[in-house]
Amino acid sequence: MDAQHDEPPSEAGPTIAATAPVIKLSALLSSFLKLGASSFGGGTTAWIYRETVERRGWFSEEQFLQALTVAQVMPGANAVNLAVFLGMQLRGAAGATIAAFGMVLPAFILILVLAGAYHQLSGYPEAQAVLTGLACVGIAATLLNGVKASRLLNKRIVPILVAILVFVLVALLRWPLVWVVLALTPTSIVISYFLEGKPRHG
Amino acid sequence: MDDDKLLSLVLMCIPLSLVSFGGGQAIVAGLQNQTVEVYGWMNSQQFTDLFAVSRAAPGPSTLIVALIGWQIGGLLGAIAATLAIFIPSSLLIGLVGRLWLKRRASPWVTAIERGLIPIAVGLIFAGFYILTTSAGFKFYDWATIFGVFALLWYTKVGPYTILAGVGCIYGVVAHIDLLLT
Repeated sequence: MDAQHDEPPSEAGPTIAATAPVIKLSALLSSFLKLGASSFGGGTTAWIYRETVERRGWFSEEQFLQALTVAQVMPGANAVNLAVFLGMQLRGAAGATIAAFGMVLPAFILILVLAGAYHQLSGYPEAQAVLTGLACVGIAATLLNGVKASRLLNKRIVPILVAILVFVLVALLRWPLVWVVLALTPTSIVISYFLEGKPRHG
Repeated sequence: MDDDKLLSLVLMCIPLSLVSFGGGQAIVAGLQNQTVEVYGWMNSQQFTDLFAVSRAAPGPSTLIVALIGWQIGGLLGAIAATLAIFIPSSLLIGLVGRLWLKRRASPWVTAIERGLIPIAVGLIFAGFYILTTSAGFKFYDWATIFGVFALLWYTKVGPYTILAGVGCIYGVVAHIDLLLT
């Protein structure tokens, strides 16, 4: 790892772009290409923290955590959202584009290589079995994330019912996902608004 | 690949991009429904295969759309699908992100953050349901799923170690099975 500390850590608060020295787009690209290439098996957020806060000193810890909150709440992949949001704060639209590009490109290339291998090997029964095994692991990870996210419902009855309704409509009745989300999200938000500050159920 | 298919692919990805609360795993159910049932671009076994391949690759799980694009339209399809899934959500956070931070004290912003959780939970479990019911899993596949779940929940074993281990076991067992029959 080369010890490039171009910029000192900024103590300037949330409007870093206005106060910090200009960060080179090439530095942004190389950082995020590296992050994109090392984003194996989750933990990407921790790597982004290490690179942008600890190694490069582009953001304070608080700025990073705020960016992470926004990246998680907005639709889209967390890592890409984070890249866009951080890149945007450093170098505006160009920075956002370059950071997102760097984040996605290595994984995109590798996934196409794997797609080629799949195409070559999918005729073999062993390959089919391996794929089933990999699918099981992916499904277990999905289940884990679902269980973890459910705990954020805080055992409140109405949000749990909303989650069940989404599940029934999308999984069992096969209604179009986009329409279900568009219809139920405002409902869920209004419910949350009126549930705030009230005692928990269950 | 004809232009109609390319257009359908892009028009499928854009709205899913904007509702992918909880990332790629939240839209798996929608992607499966559209590509298998609505457009008939592949069967459900192929979709599950692509899901498996996407989990073996690094990067966000959303990149499964690159594989879907590749399956129905080669490199051009992969690029189009990837751009269509990442650009809309990226534009949204690029445009609204700063404003969001400034307004975080507002009770409505808190309500939005809380209100999105049940949606994400329902969608993630929908993805789980769709993947497990469409793949024709045997009892030992279920055992694998819950075994891996337990490993992920109770231990700190990395997902790639588990992927490699499970992949090897399935491959070897299938090979022995072939030799014996």
